[in-house]
Amino acid sequence: MANRPQKFQPPDRLRQKVRKSGGPAPEQAILRALNAAEDLIDSYQGWAVDDLAALWKAYEETRSASGNPRQILKMFEIAHGIRGEGGSFGFQLISTIGDSLCKFLEGRKKLGRTESEVVKVHILAMRAVFRQNLKGPQPSLERDLRQLLALLRERMG
Amino acid sequence: MSGYDFETLKVLVADDSRPMRSLIKSFLLGFGVKEMFEAADANEAFAEVKAGEPDIVITDWRMPPTDGLDLVRQIRMDLDSPNPYLPIIMLTGFTELHRVKQARDAGVTAFLAKPISAAALYRRLCTVIDDQRPFVRVGEFFGPDRRAKRRSEPFMGVERRRDAQ
Repeated sequence: MANRPQKFQPPDRLRQKVRKSGGPAPEQAILRALNAAEDLIDSYQGWAVDDLAALWKAYEETRSASGNPRQILKMFEIAHGIRGEGGSFGFQLISTIGDSLCKFLEGRKKLGRTESEVVKVHILAMRAVFRQNLKGPQPSLERDLRQLLALLRERMG
Repeated sequence: MSGYDFETLKVLVADDSRPMRSLIKSFLLGFGVKEMFEAADANEAFAEVKAGEPDIVITDWRMPPTDGLDLVRQIRMDLDSPNPYLPIIMLTGFTELHRVKQARDAGVTAFLAKPISAAALYRRLCTVIDDQRPFVRVGEFFGPDRRAKRRSEPFMGVERRRDAQ
C-alpha cells in the first residue's frame, strides 16, 4: 500500500540539549528579552517612516495607473510587513490598521477611485498613530478602530 | 524557581525584514540563547541549515522571492537536508485558518502569529522543546504527526491570550 502512513520517532536531541531548569525563571527571561530589545523598539518608528513612505508611493502609483494587479500586490506586501512589525514593536494600532488594509487589498485586481480613498484613509490613520505616539496597549481605541475600519471596508469596498 | 536553560541552543532566524530579525534575536538573547544565525530568504536559510546545523528554525512565511513554506519543504524533503526532523516555528502575519492548515501540511512544528511578543515566543520555544510527536510520511507529506492530540503538542492556532501580548 503506497499511501500507508509510516511513523518515525525523531531523535530527542532538543530535550537532551536543553535542560528544563538552571536557566532564568520564565518571567525573568521575558523581562531580559524586553530589556535586550529596548533600543530596537525605540528605533522602530524611524524604520516605520520608510515603510509608510513606500506605502504612500505605491498608493500614488496605483492611483495614477488605475490600480494594476502588480501594484496592488506591492501595496499588499508592504501593508503585510507593517501589520507584522507594528505590534511586535509596541504599536498595536499599526498592526490593527495594517491588518484591515491587508484584508481590503488581498485578492483585489483593480482599485477604483473610491477604493483608493479607502487605502488613503488607512495610510493617514497610520501616520496619525505615529504622530500621536500611540504606543502600548490601547484596547478600547483598538476595538473602536477595528469596528470603524471594518465598516469602512464594507461600505466603500 | 528556574526555567529552561537555552544556553546551548542554536537558532536560525529567517525573515526578510531586518528589524524583525533583530527583534527576534534580541528576544532570544534575553532568553539566554548564545548562538544564532540569520537569513533573509529561504535559499539563504537552507544554506545556513546545512552550514550551521541549528537546533530550531524560526521562519517567516513571506520572504520574496521565496517563502517559508519552500524552506520547510526543503528541510523536510531535500536529500541534502542535514536534519529532516528539525523543529520549525512558522512566524507570520497570515493567521487565517486555511493558512495555518497550509503551514501544518507543509510540515511546520508550530505556528506563531505576528505581531509577536517575547512571552509568546518564549512559550513556543518551550512547547517545541517538549514536543515528542512522531513524524509521519504519507503521500507527499513528511512532518510532525498532524493528528496527534497529546497535551504537549504545540498549539497551532493563533495566539490570542492577553498575557501573550
